[in-house]
Amino acid sequence: MKLAERFRLSRFISGEKAVDTPVVLNHRRIFILPTQRGLGFVLLIVLLMLIAFVYNNNLAYMLAFLLASVFFITILHSYKALSGLVLQQGRSKAVFVGEAAGFDIHINNPTDMERHQLQVKLQDAQSLTLQPQSTAHITVYSLTHKRGWHQAGTVTLSSTYPLGLFRVWSPTRFNLKALVYPKPAHVEMPFPHTSSAQAQQGVSNKGGDEFYGLQEYQSGDSIKHIHWKAFAKGLGVFSKQYGGDQSSEEIWLDYDHAPGHNSEERLSRLCRWVVDAEQAGIRYGFALPGLTLPPGNGLAHYQKCLEALALF
Amino acid sequence: MKPELDKNILIFLLSSIGLIVFPHIYHIPAAVFGFFCLLLSWRFVGVWKPNWLPGKLAILLLAVSGIGLLYSQHQGLFGRDAGTNLFIIALGLKLLEIKTERDLYLINYLAFIVAASQFLYEQSILMAAYILLVCCVLLATLVYINSSKAQTLAAVKTAVIITVQALPIAVALFVLFPRLEAPKWMLFNDSHRAETGLSDSMEPGSISDLGESFELVFRVKFAGPIPPPQQRYWRGPVLSYTDGKRWTQATLQKPSRKPAVAGTSYQYTLLMEPQDKNWVFALDMPQEFSAPLTLNAGYQLITSERTDQRAEYKVTSYPDYNTGPINSGEYKAATQLPGEPSDKIKQLVGQLHGFDSAPDNFINQLLNHFRTEDFHYTLTPPVMEENPIESFLFKTRYGFCSHYASAFVYLMRVAHIPARVVTGYQGGELNKVGGFLEIRQADAHAWAEVWLENRGWVRVDPTAAIAPERIEREINIDRQTAYGIASANNYLPRPAYNWLKQARQLWGNVDYNWQRWVINYDNKSQSNFLSSFGINDVKTMIYWMIAVIASITAVLCWFLLYQKPKAADKVVLIYNRFCKKLVKHELIRGAGEGVKDFSERVKIKLPVQAEQIDQITSLFIKLRYGRMASEEDLQQLKTLVGLFKS
Repeated sequence: MKLAERFRLSRFISGEKAVDTPVVLNHRRIFILPTQRGLGFVLLIVLLMLIAFVYNNNLAYMLAFLLASVFFITILHSYKALSGLVLQQGRSKAVFVGEAAGFDIHINNPTDMERHQLQVKLQDAQSLTLQPQSTAHITVYSLTHKRGWHQAGTVTLSSTYPLGLFRVWSPTRFNLKALVYPKPAHVEMPFPHTSSAQAQQGVSNKGGDEFYGLQEYQSGDSIKHIHWKAFAKGLGVFSKQYGGDQSSEEIWLDYDHAPGHNSEERLSRLCRWVVDAEQAGIRYGFALPGLTLPPGNGLAHYQKCLEALALF
Repeated sequence: MKPELDKNILIFLLSSIGLIVFPHIYHIPAAVFGFFCLLLSWRFVGVWKPNWLPGKLAILLLAVSGIGLLYSQHQGLFGRDAGTNLFIIALGLKLLEIKTERDLYLINYLAFIVAASQFLYEQSILMAAYILLVCCVLLATLVYINSSKAQTLAAVKTAVIITVQALPIAVALFVLFPRLEAPKWMLFNDSHRAETGLSDSMEPGSISDLGESFELVFRVKFAGPIPPPQQRYWRGPVLSYTDGKRWTQATLQKPSRKPAVAGTSYQYTLLMEPQDKNWVFALDMPQEFSAPLTLNAGYQLITSERTDQRAEYKVTSYPDYNTGPINSGEYKAATQLPGEPSDKIKQLVGQLHGFDSAPDNFINQLLNHFRTEDFHYTLTPPVMEENPIESFLFKTRYGFCSHYASAFVYLMRVAHIPARVVTGYQGGELNKVGGFLEIRQADAHAWAEVWLENRGWVRVDPTAAIAPERIEREINIDRQTAYGIASANNYLPRPAYNWLKQARQLWGNVDYNWQRWVINYDNKSQSNFLSSFGINDVKTMIYWMIAVIASITAVLCWFLLYQKPKAADKVVLIYNRFCKKLVKHELIRGAGEGVKDFSERVKIKLPVQAEQIDQITSLFIKLRYGRMASEEDLQQLKTLVGLFKS
């Protein structure tokens, strides 16, 4: 490793290059600086030295020296608070824009020492205590703003144990990313007339799989068609009504037919349709410029569609 | 972060603060101490009844009354007492206003300062040990705040461990940190010196009870043999002038020449305890000494240094001396009488041949008079307001050293023999463990000095003439043992007495070394001590300090951080090295990827090294998961990985 690289300042904040492998915290990854309280402690020592000096009092000197020595020794203890811990990346789940992406991190303490008050921070800090020879599984969250891949960034593990005079921290970057789907559009809108789909599929079922309205729930309606939102709002139980034979209906969700001023709005609309369609249990085909997915239903299909939307 | 006001933390912190302030009960005004106790107990109640704590306005009022209290004590803002009061009151007020963790820290730091102020009043070993313990508790509070679980014992244990580990470096700093004398303007004028001890005047009749204090006055360590008890007279102020009741120092002309000395000499080091006078008690007759000591007209050593701290002096004395001729001023002062003596006195002097024989003879006659007549030695004589000397000689005949010395000197003067009273200390107990003498307030003594032709000033101790059976019991046994006129075994069973004495001497020795090497370690003794190691200037001192601290740190690092890697971990470490080599070929083992799968992937990319890769993989599996792995396998894996070319 080159000298310049060894002393990169950014290592202090964002840590070493992102890795996939477990990371053992050692002297290269652990940094220590006094906290504000630590600086206050230094001030205390200076004051004690001054008292000792003015009164020429050897025991006051001794107390000042003892505290100075405690301050010094605490550096080693601070280092011990993190050293030897093993960090390993776990899974991450896909989310919609605006939600917080969660990343699983496993922190293993292979030593016989208890680790107190560890703070794990991505955006918000969480604290935990690790028993000797144990592993903690935690999920750190980071808010998403854009669809596509969302990098986890730097996970910082820190501690002020034992005296709070020093903060010891270790920034770690993993190759952790979460897929972020577009934000589903707010407004509920009927599924589109899909002429292109009909042409492709050769199915002529005019208005058949079109959502055309809501009607009061009657026994026998599929649970999948219940308009849960309205129910949640306390408006009563309604069923979504679709034309034609509901179970065998197919719709086409096409980028070209999605309303919107720009591509993001269209994607957002499409996303909403995908979510709604999946919820409603309708078989839906999916088309983006350069990508066409035949009609389908179920989690795998759903995820495929959303993934395509996220990465478009 | 924990809830801000964890009950346990508060109880812990408040108790340790109580412990820290408690010894100040002797040092600060009762009002200040009471005020602090009020605040502390209020806070204690507040732990369980948070609603009872004062509001903002009440705290302001309390602060104002605290300032008023400080002001009423008339101690100003600076100086030891004022500073201590200020910090204690500030600490008390801050206690009522704990909101965040930051406040806990502030209180903790204030408590450390109050702990340090304790040392400005008392520097004994016991106090040092006490404060050390309390400091551990304070540190434990910090550990407690920073650890996750409410484990008081664990926090205390951690704090003690840290403190113990910190001690070596603290000691190194103590020895090697350059000591500088504070400039004079920085010294605050505090009148906190010892109140007991010898005074510069003597009034035998008015005191009816001599305090028997075992407080230490000074210690003496002899370079050679220790003088016999009858020569251990530690000279203090010389009292020449009397008004009949009271004896005081007369202003004397300094003798023109030093006393002639002969015979054996005693070299010794005096370690004076803090006192309010600038007197140094040397063995009769001090001959060699160095600045800041000077000899005054009464052959008493005077120091020009501050004496509110322990000080060490090197002196050489000769018990055999001759002060030579008397000068006129001395003669005048030594024959001064407060008026015409009464007929009764004159009759007594005449009867003892004071007017018609040589001074020697008269002295012996007088001492014999004390011995044969019904004189008693007691520490609780009756008060003699009027004519104390006459009352003592003819009526009460009960007295202690001052009575005998003053009566003796008075009678000498009536017989026209120059005489004066010398005060000081007599005897001293030998500490067998440390080989030094301890002189205590109870050893205070007064004796007489007469001037004789060709012999100069000669010491006469009339108290020694009292017959032993007439000595009352309460007096200092040790001193009488030194005189050879009383023996200890009359009072205590011998083994118990010996055991007690030994224990006292052992403790005395520890205390002596503590005073000498810890309390009294100043820039002078530091340079003396360090020059014996060849460290002569501040620069070398600092180099040494850094070197010593660095080596202690290295040892501590090893002790604290080194962990023997487990065999299994070694295997993983070696395998990781192998993986690192493959990173260049963009072969990165996935998080959940098995070793075997990984090796297959590697072999496709690096077909040439397939055999090596297989060997490494199988060895790794054997070492990590197999049962029959041996040390050789580990070595082989090491070599293979080392040889593996990427």
